[in-house]
Amino acid sequence: MGIAADLLDGKIGAGARAITWLDDGDPRGAEVIKRIFPHTGRAHVIGITGPPGAGKSTLTDIIVAELRAREQRVGVVAIDPSSPFTGGAILGDRVRMARHTLDPGVFIRSIGTRGSAGGLSRSTHDACLVLDAMGFDAVIVETVGVGQDEIDVVNLAHTTIIVGVPGLGDEVQAVKAGILEAGEIFVVNKADREGYPATQRQFELMLHLREQSRPDETWRPPLLRAVANAGEGAVEIVDAIAAHRAHLDESGGFAQRSGLREREQVLALLRERLAREAIAHAGDSILAEVEARKLDPYSAIEKLTGQG
Amino acid sequence: MAAQPARRMRVLLAKLGMDTHTVGVTVIGHALREAGLEVIFTGLKQTPEMVVAAAIQEDVDVVGISTLSAGHTRSLPKLARLLREAGAEDKLLLAGGVVPEEDKPVLLEAGVDKIFTMGADTREIVRYLEEWWSEKQAAETV
Repeated sequence: MGIAADLLDGKIGAGARAITWLDDGDPRGAEVIKRIFPHTGRAHVIGITGPPGAGKSTLTDIIVAELRAREQRVGVVAIDPSSPFTGGAILGDRVRMARHTLDPGVFIRSIGTRGSAGGLSRSTHDACLVLDAMGFDAVIVETVGVGQDEIDVVNLAHTTIIVGVPGLGDEVQAVKAGILEAGEIFVVNKADREGYPATQRQFELMLHLREQSRPDETWRPPLLRAVANAGEGAVEIVDAIAAHRAHLDESGGFAQRSGLREREQVLALLRERLAREAIAHAGDSILAEVEARKLDPYSAIEKLTGQG
Repeated sequence: MAAQPARRMRVLLAKLGMDTHTVGVTVIGHALREAGLEVIFTGLKQTPEMVVAAAIQEDVDVVGISTLSAGHTRSLPKLARLLREAGAEDKLLLAGGVVPEEDKPVLLEAGVDKIFTMGADTREIVRYLEEWWSEKQAAETV
């Protein structure tokens, strides 16, 4: 099978086509994954998440530049929201990363959410596997702008960077529910802006609370400042990424996280497959009964799973 | 419900050279999104080499170049040639914006597939793309 062999050779076009198949749910994509899976598990998957307007793309750009300076080959999966009405999308993240376009050590792919919640697309995991198999040392996943609990990226990434900015008012409050518990590196971007000290203090407080509630946690998440559009902060962030990687390697956490991620992927695929087969098997009539309010949702599930 | 396999048309929209007029390309981008397409913006001041690299990484079906300043008679033929050399000649290459009548034959001869000039209705562009797409899909399933 040509595409799998070619992408294992590092051919950009082959990797790009495989990601398209996976994004489209084309069965050829699954065949590619079967072939390349034994060659995956090496790349360091780094998630970048935060609210809309936090500067995630610009931050990704300077992190890519710093990783390149350290001779790492970098793949980027940049996710933007698809329209829930038309399914169309405007994917503009690579505008901020344009200077890396001609660097053969960088591969940037824009992906629409296509109906997925959680800040990622259903294809993101597989896109990471493709980039991993192509030999990229680091794979950065930039999520859509997130609110309180769209943090699927933490299940995908070995290291998750949470980005905040001054001046979003209660943004920190909104973010803390899910995200605070999850991230390994915290960055306050646009630190030259008014309101930075207050935002910095809020993050410090949250991290302090996290430490208190998790005395056994061996990784202390650093809190860093950045002014991404001036290139400030990249060295410290990439140092922190490297430190977290070293921590994961020492603790066995790297392989453990990769393993959990594949386990989650199996469960996600299984949910999708079972739902599709149950609907195909029982036909749409049960759904039509529910729509007509002749059947309640719980009885419908029993019928669909053959228990009714 | 599980997502159904669905091929979705992807379009790269770019501007070449020092041309910084973005209104047209933004309007087109939003029209294509409304039509259900995925639109990838590359930003301004792209070279033909950058457009080809981005088009391959993004595996787009269509490359759309907005041109509102001179220079297209050099940059667009170069882009068409680079796409061919990269084995990406199956991508539809469109140009839109200010293209004088006398330049059109040159561009079409050089490998630009279709030119939309100022005042073209976005619906016309969407219709053209949808027709091209359904023909392409039909050809691929045979």
